[in-house]
Amino acid sequence: MKRALLFLLCLSPLFFLLYRLFAGGAEDPVKAIYSVTGYSALTLLYAATTISLVRKKIRLLRYRRMVGLFAFFYALLHFCNFLILDMELDPAAAFDETLKKPFIYLGVTAFAILLFMAVTSLPKLFARFYKYHRLIYVALLLVTVHFVMAQKALAYWQWEILAVMALIGVLKVLQRTGLAKF
Amino acid sequence: MQRTRYENRPPREADVTDERLFDERRKFLKLGAAALVSTAAVLELAAKEKLPAANLDYAKDPNAGGLELNTYEQITSYNNFYEFTTSKEGVKPLSKRFKSEPWKLTVDGLVEQPLELDVWKLMKQIPLEERIYRFRCVEGWSMVVPWIGFELSRLIAMARPLASAKYVRFETLYDPAQFPDQDRGLLATLDYPYVEGLRMDEAMHPLTLMAVGLYGHTLPPQNGAPIRLVVPWKYGFKSIKTVVRITFTDTQPRNTWNAYAPAEYGFYANVNPGVDHPRWSQARERVLGHFFKQPTQLFNGYAKEVAHLYKGMDLRKHF
Repeated sequence: MKRALLFLLCLSPLFFLLYRLFAGGAEDPVKAIYSVTGYSALTLLYAATTISLVRKKIRLLRYRRMVGLFAFFYALLHFCNFLILDMELDPAAAFDETLKKPFIYLGVTAFAILLFMAVTSLPKLFARFYKYHRLIYVALLLVTVHFVMAQKALAYWQWEILAVMALIGVLKVLQRTGLAKF
Repeated sequence: MQRTRYENRPPREADVTDERLFDERRKFLKLGAAALVSTAAVLELAAKEKLPAANLDYAKDPNAGGLELNTYEQITSYNNFYEFTTSKEGVKPLSKRFKSEPWKLTVDGLVEQPLELDVWKLMKQIPLEERIYRFRCVEGWSMVVPWIGFELSRLIAMARPLASAKYVRFETLYDPAQFPDQDRGLLATLDYPYVEGLRMDEAMHPLTLMAVGLYGHTLPPQNGAPIRLVVPWKYGFKSIKTVVRITFTDTQPRNTWNAYAPAEYGFYANVNPGVDHPRWSQARERVLGHFFKQPTQLFNGYAKEVAHLYKGMDLRKHF
């Protein structure tokens, strides 16, 4: 039951996006897809990290894989939006116009990491590749920079998001280095 | 399972659907298809009917270039107006109660005749004309807008700038009671008031417009009511909204976005597909309402009219 509820919760941004696209008057649909899938992937990635951060206090570890896979799902939609709708499936344009820009290749690199983690999260592979899943911290850093670079200027609420991310990041570093126990 | 009597007996002639009814069914299906098509037509009509009744007198633009206009709905629902919010779809609802009447426009600086203009009176006195212009945002989207306004050069002629005036500086209203982001103090997204500038020859150019309306109606708040600048060959951020002051100066004004990120936004900001923004390409653009992108044109398609203004200038350096 809990799992089903969490599943629906993770899926709700997709419903919201579909509503925006087909009934909510999104004037620039490609931009709407970027925003919703981007924020969702970012939020779920940090949520998955938070789950392992607080695992001693709140036992949610068994849901971490699902949350992580949903983050990958939104990242995949985000990436497809880039390649199919924005670049119109023209690899030359994708490369020439944008892969040269740090903003894009940071995002693409993060996506490659998430793809690797999604594949190796299969039970059979997980035991072997578990230790490489620490790459999540690289991905978190990359997507955060990618998010900041995507903005023309940061609004106050985006600073708030960044503050929460920084807090999670710092706590995570403290936990992993053993400087603080929780 | 017990079957009904009806299903048990063999079908009879009378059970076969009457041919007339059968044809009716086809007609009905066709009607459905027609309804779908006509719904689109009706929607289009409704979109047109969402236009507020025209309240400006103006000379029509014959649209010789055959530009395809964006709808009133599109033009007034997707706006960059950071004084309200950074969300383009959020500006319209937040700007509903904006008070643009009365409105004083100050013209000062290096001029023979400083002016204090009542903009709503000016709208009735000065001959207005429609200008159908392409509008290209630095973010990579664009639209085609039927502006109503007058050439900035008319205003300049009224103020009679001194020979020492080399630039024109524009300023947006500063009113934290009306603009939520100005009310945030240190947490504000940009330094306000918003400032833009033009070189004198750019300001005098016949394409440079002071707009007071669109689609025959005075500007809604989200589009810069009651008066704004429109410079069609430059990125949209140059076309400053909700102007309260125009000042003639001998030094190049520091425009807001240039001050915010000098490496990303220049003073000139001419539309140029050959000069990328450091973070994204400017080669193509998405017209609102279109799914696929189209190539961006040098000077946004107005090269014939304005390229001479920048002769001999390195457009990569003066982006």
